[in-house]
Amino acid sequence: MNAANIQVRKAPLKNRILKYKWFYVMFLPVLAFVIVFHYLPMFGVYFAFTKYNIIKAPVWVGLKNFKRLFSMPNFWRAFSNTLEISVTSLLLNTGMSVIISLMLNEIVSTRAKKVAQTIIYLPHFMSWVVTAAVFQMLFSPTTSGLLNQLLLKMGLIEESIYFLGNSQWWRLSYYIINIWHNTGWGTIIFMATLTGIDPGIYEAASIDGAGRWKKMWYITLPSLANTIITVLILNLAKVMNLFESVFVLQNNAVMDVSQVLQTYVYYQTFNSGGIPDYGYTTAIGLFRSLVGAALVLMCNYASKKVRGRGIM
Amino acid sequence: MKKLLALVLALVLCMGCVSMATAEVKKPEKITMMVDTTVFTQANGRDLFEARWEELTGIDLEIIQPDHSAYYDVLQQTIASGEWPDVMILSSTYYSSYAAEGVLWDMTDAWEASDLKASGRFVGDRVIEGLKIDGRLYGFAPTRGNGCVTYVKKAWLDKVGMQAPTNYAEYTAMLDAFVNQDPDGDGVADTYGVSAAGFVGGEAPFVNYLAEFYQDAYPFFVQQEDGSWVDGFTQESMKGALERLAEAYAKGWIDPTTLTNATKDCRNKFYDDGFGVFTYWAGTWATNLKTNLEAKNLSGELVALPPIAEVGAYFDRVPPVWAISSTCENPEGVFKYFIDTMLDGGDMQMLWTYGVEGAHWSKAAETVLAGTEKEKTYAEGEFHMLENMETAGTLYTKNHIDPMLSLATFAEGYYDPKEDSVKPEAKASSELFNASSKLAKIVPTTEEMSMYNGDLTTLKNELIAKVTMGEMTYDEAMAKFEADGGKSWSDQIVNSLNALN
Repeated sequence: MNAANIQVRKAPLKNRILKYKWFYVMFLPVLAFVIVFHYLPMFGVYFAFTKYNIIKAPVWVGLKNFKRLFSMPNFWRAFSNTLEISVTSLLLNTGMSVIISLMLNEIVSTRAKKVAQTIIYLPHFMSWVVTAAVFQMLFSPTTSGLLNQLLLKMGLIEESIYFLGNSQWWRLSYYIINIWHNTGWGTIIFMATLTGIDPGIYEAASIDGAGRWKKMWYITLPSLANTIITVLILNLAKVMNLFESVFVLQNNAVMDVSQVLQTYVYYQTFNSGGIPDYGYTTAIGLFRSLVGAALVLMCNYASKKVRGRGIM
Repeated sequence: MKKLLALVLALVLCMGCVSMATAEVKKPEKITMMVDTTVFTQANGRDLFEARWEELTGIDLEIIQPDHSAYYDVLQQTIASGEWPDVMILSSTYYSSYAAEGVLWDMTDAWEASDLKASGRFVGDRVIEGLKIDGRLYGFAPTRGNGCVTYVKKAWLDKVGMQAPTNYAEYTAMLDAFVNQDPDGDGVADTYGVSAAGFVGGEAPFVNYLAEFYQDAYPFFVQQEDGSWVDGFTQESMKGALERLAEAYAKGWIDPTTLTNATKDCRNKFYDDGFGVFTYWAGTWATNLKTNLEAKNLSGELVALPPIAEVGAYFDRVPPVWAISSTCENPEGVFKYFIDTMLDGGDMQMLWTYGVEGAHWSKAAETVLAGTEKEKTYAEGEFHMLENMETAGTLYTKNHIDPMLSLATFAEGYYDPKEDSVKPEAKASSELFNASSKLAKIVPTTEEMSMYNGDLTTLKNELIAKVTMGEMTYDEAMAKFEADGGKSWSDQIVNSLNALN
């Protein structure tokens, strides 16, 4: 009898359940949580096809909300802003996180490395409201604005720039603030990957005459590639969720470059002058989720094509 | 004879009906009230307020009081759940929306037959008329809405040798002097004339923080004297307003960070001597501004300006209202025992205005902490507010009803503590405001407004900011307004409002 003919007979399902009953019991709270908080709310998608003001029962309107949505120039502006700001932030943050991780990895003294890590992690723990207040002060066009005063003193500008109040400067300011706030935290996962690289590879490279730059280029970066792709794909799922960081930094003068889908929903809700149509805002939310899912699938597909495997 | 008999019979029947109607108002056993933090919170003795209210009425009161910032979120969720409170407090926006959707009980008849209206103490007929929607009343306001007056630092006026302005030319001359003549005396050109939280407000009456620049312009929907509606943003007056704002911005009269300021930022800059003219709330805030300036060792003397000639009158905003839900089982009873008693001229009015004796105010001989005034000793029988339970070192100033905004006096013979509890500067600014304000009107809600006003308001605010900051001209702004759909949305909303007439 060859090995291929050997059939392992599985115990009946009932017996297996009984055998592992305590595992199932332990799994139940998680299952309940996922169903209640992740799957049941999905039925709210129904409201995207209704006219609903909370007070009266929802009225089925089919695709009317989507037709209205797609006919609104502000919606498309918010959509393109969301993609541009999110994707740029994602690339900049990931790139900066990788660069800083590589730099941290080169610090020899453990104590110095820990101090540096702590300093760059700290901004992440500052709320966006506080961050916005701090940078509004630093970037202020008045005499209290540190950056403008510095640039004026250095003779680089002749008059103050309203960095957060001017459409030409707002995005750049936003990216800088975003990098300051998020990059440190983003390095954690890359640092963990770097720690896992076999030191033997570096030793072998040293014996072969590789310097620090070559080791970084030919060993460290390739070792990080999988992590970078994974982080990018996971973060792509979140690009359409952009809200808090933009909301606290935007103002009336920069709406053309800062209005994103989530802030668009906010203003639809609170600027409506009455009770908003929650059917319409749900339609925006549904559209946003579909785009987010499509982006992840596309990225995963691209990863499979390029690297031969994806993460899903 | 027959006619006389018929008349007598009719009169008897009518009187019978009235007395039956009065007799039929059943006293509720319990009232559920939903309120924001304008009533004493749990940390400030809400239970004591509730106990005293129940003692005065013999009715069980259940108070639902979400956090202040979350009030309307929680209210919306409560309305969505179907378990509506008997009585709730609403801002003007929610009031008109809920009335239009049938959430609120029509209290017109109850108000007409109320004890308060008949008492002769009520002075808010104009406010009540302003609250009517299509001639029907769905909510009651115990106070005026209040509004903003323009305060000028007297020390700065003296420094630049100017008098309080009475027209726009004098007003801008004063701003110019505040920018260019070093009014704070620190030798550095670091002052602005005026600052505000945004170039346009986020809620009605929108223009009240920069009234001198807007003058007769209004960026929202306005009902004209003939009853028809227009969008104030599209009117010629808006052109003048935006040009004035742009000039003021270009000349540095307006603090450029007005764009991003929150009201707290403005207050702090005012206390730091960053600017000299601040349009802010009348009444108690006059005292707050004064004491905060003095805390920074600056002169607290402020001149409350009567509206300059071009403004004419300050806006008195639509006050928050108490409304009874249409699902309330005994709305007549809730009106009679909750709303009609709120300004009863006696103990209940005292409770809503100042709180509970011994907890929030007292007439006992004692020494209390009084904030910046440190300690103050009162004689027996002398009315005084007590120390805040939540914030030690500060005193209570009022409960739900601001005594300076109250729409009814206390009954004759009942002690009115107002004279003893209100500071002179607060009283002066409040009286100035009362004498020189006009009531903002409620704008009804329509389906078109719900659909388009979110986009429209965002676009209007963007254009106001860009024209003010010199990034585009008025004509360019109006071209963009049309190209981006603003004109179309505006027309549709105006048409829907006119269709209500």
